[in-house]
Amino acid sequence: MSEIGGRRVVITGLGVVSNVGIGVDDFTESIRAGRTGMSPITSFDTSRFPKVIGGEVQDFKPDAVLERLDADEWGRSGLFAAAAARLAARDAGVSDEELSSAPSGSVMGTTSGESAVKQRLSEQAVGAGPETVDPDLVLMSPAHRIAAAVNTELGLNGEAHVIATACSASNYALGYAFDLVREGEADYVFAGGADSVNRHTHAGFLRLGALADDVIRPFDVNRSGIITGEGGVALLLEPLEQAVARGARIYAEVLGYGVNCDAKHMVHPDAESLARCIAAALSSAGVLPHEVDYICAHGTGTPVNDEAEIAAVRSVYGEQLPPISSIKSMIGHTMGAASGYGAVISCKSLHDGFLPPTANLQQLDPALGPELDVVPVTREATPSVVVNHGFAFGGNNAVVVLGRVS
Amino acid sequence: MTTVAPPEPLAITGCGVVSPAGVGLDRFKEYLDLPRVARPVHAPEDADSYPPLAVHSAGDIKLAEHVGRKGTRRLDRMVGLALVASKLALESAGRADERSMRAQTGVAIGTSTGSIASLFEIATNTLTQSEPYMIEPSRFPNTVLNSCAGQVAIWNSLKGVNATVAGGHVSSTAALRYAQNAIRRGHVTSMLAGGIEETCPQLAWAWHRAALLRPGTALAEGAGILVVEDRSVVGDRPVLAELLGTRTAYRGGRTSLTQGLADCITKLLSDNGVRPEDVGVVALGAGGQVGARRIEEQGVRLALGFLPDALRVPEALGESYSAGGALQTAAVLARWSGDSPASERFGLVTSLGRDGAIGCVLLRRPS
Repeated sequence: MSEIGGRRVVITGLGVVSNVGIGVDDFTESIRAGRTGMSPITSFDTSRFPKVIGGEVQDFKPDAVLERLDADEWGRSGLFAAAAARLAARDAGVSDEELSSAPSGSVMGTTSGESAVKQRLSEQAVGAGPETVDPDLVLMSPAHRIAAAVNTELGLNGEAHVIATACSASNYALGYAFDLVREGEADYVFAGGADSVNRHTHAGFLRLGALADDVIRPFDVNRSGIITGEGGVALLLEPLEQAVARGARIYAEVLGYGVNCDAKHMVHPDAESLARCIAAALSSAGVLPHEVDYICAHGTGTPVNDEAEIAAVRSVYGEQLPPISSIKSMIGHTMGAASGYGAVISCKSLHDGFLPPTANLQQLDPALGPELDVVPVTREATPSVVVNHGFAFGGNNAVVVLGRVS
Repeated sequence: MTTVAPPEPLAITGCGVVSPAGVGLDRFKEYLDLPRVARPVHAPEDADSYPPLAVHSAGDIKLAEHVGRKGTRRLDRMVGLALVASKLALESAGRADERSMRAQTGVAIGTSTGSIASLFEIATNTLTQSEPYMIEPSRFPNTVLNSCAGQVAIWNSLKGVNATVAGGHVSSTAALRYAQNAIRRGHVTSMLAGGIEETCPQLAWAWHRAALLRPGTALAEGAGILVVEDRSVVGDRPVLAELLGTRTAYRGGRTSLTQGLADCITKLLSDNGVRPEDVGVVALGAGGQVGARRIEEQGVRLALGFLPDALRVPEALGESYSAGGALQTAAVLARWSGDSPASERFGLVTSLGRDGAIGCVLLRRPS
């Protein structure tokens, strides 16, 4: 529901720690080139696993980015989030003084929280017994430390909110952050997400039959699933008026969002419910289906997701389907960060004028139906309205609508 | 600063509680009213695997009696706590049999860890089995943080926004805040909102090793779920309390937690046009942690100028972490359902973690 009198909200800073680049410029360059960030997993012993490829950020050096946090005191997901937020602040050209003297906060999404920390605690508990677990790791382990890391790194004085709605969590975070800024609760909010590759998630998706054989092929007839990835992403939201006053570069305006729940099954998506979520997002943004120029898909590359997602898109857009692509084909499924990366590339798409590709697409799945425009290589374009999908485990759906500010 | 009219209060129409007092708000109220020595305690069944630390279990919650037997075998205890509390919450809101409002009802559940018991079960399998991925597929979903919220939606057909909120000691308060925003922004008309904490040996050892609990404080499990609704859908159903507002903040590093909590409370009161002296009761949340009790009380005194009648839930029930704010709110509702002075118009719920998490909730007694 669109409200009267709220402030217009824009995105002025983008921060990315990803397996295809650290910093928004490197990330965007890789995505535009269709580069993938998959490699053999090194963060846990994969010797007894039949599938060993992951999307780790193997060159992440927190100290190279962070200015305040002591990397030894925070978990990997928190460090990803804090580094991404630090990069977003630099990208936006805001100083720590500006951030800490205004009402400011962070909203971070995650699937598994500090899963790398919990993995080490599990190893200790299973190995030498629960009476031997490292107290310092215990303190790092709760999921709320992810947003706490962001607030501490940047000296933010307000809310540090972690939303753990699995694979749509960054979109949930963006929606909530949008409301905080729109309603005047805060003048700077960092929204995004973070997750870490870990044994337990890798095993779980493998057991569910959702891990890809070799490469991720969203919308391809031979798609076989996801590859688990990791990283951190943050977008800085602020009121339009403030951004203009301080001469900030404006990537995009947040026009609205939709959130709902399938309430049917924990792991199988429900196309009708996805469609309701998309429709709610468009309605919230005051955008008609034919005004949408590009869809940044959830596009996991599992047979089930892509089928349900395209069915939902068809039911909302009818015969005029906007171009669609999935950047998961390059960065893997980064879980709680996934829709945050989608939002970043959507901002770049609106600001720089291109549509990102779906890598590895060899043969579009005919079962997905006719007139489907899955962007195979980067396409120059000037989109005005972009829709970013996030659909999750637990039936937690969230869709964010972004627009170009002219 | 411009003066803005306070937002319309939301109605709390239902409350479901599972706690060391057992199942239900009535038992919770009786338990809190008993002198400390008279309160019965459920020790966990597998007491030998726990550290030397008092642990207050919620006991046998008899899940099947509340939700039926079908489909409960693959659920874990944490989901069970959530389902029982949600069922009781909908019943107390007079919505047990209603179906038409379910599509416009969402869920916001506070947890900072998900089920540690389930996580440990799966982690053990992946570490000890010769085929590490041969875990039980139907148990895997239990390990993800949003498992409870997703299951509460499935079992009750709640198709509105479905959020899981992690905030450490302010998890429940942050979930209530998320719920309040979702209703006010028109995403839903009603929310089931609260928090859940499940005890297990691994979690108890973690608390023990980290030495976070004040000596003598028990570790408690429980779930508190409130039904929060837009006034327009309440009709003639009774209102247990009005939710005026919520605030959370994080104060890390060397900043003062006392001042942080005081600022949070002051802003919440002024946003809602409530005078400090009109706060008649405060449900304090930090009393279970080492070194936090005094910080919290000083924060309240600094904001209000005095310490109102205090409900000390962690001291009574044990430290229930992510469920704390919801159980404290339930304690205020329980008090207002009894014979506390009618002049007591406003209630405050405060939460604070030594790690920097701060939160508060402002309630008004229905007239």
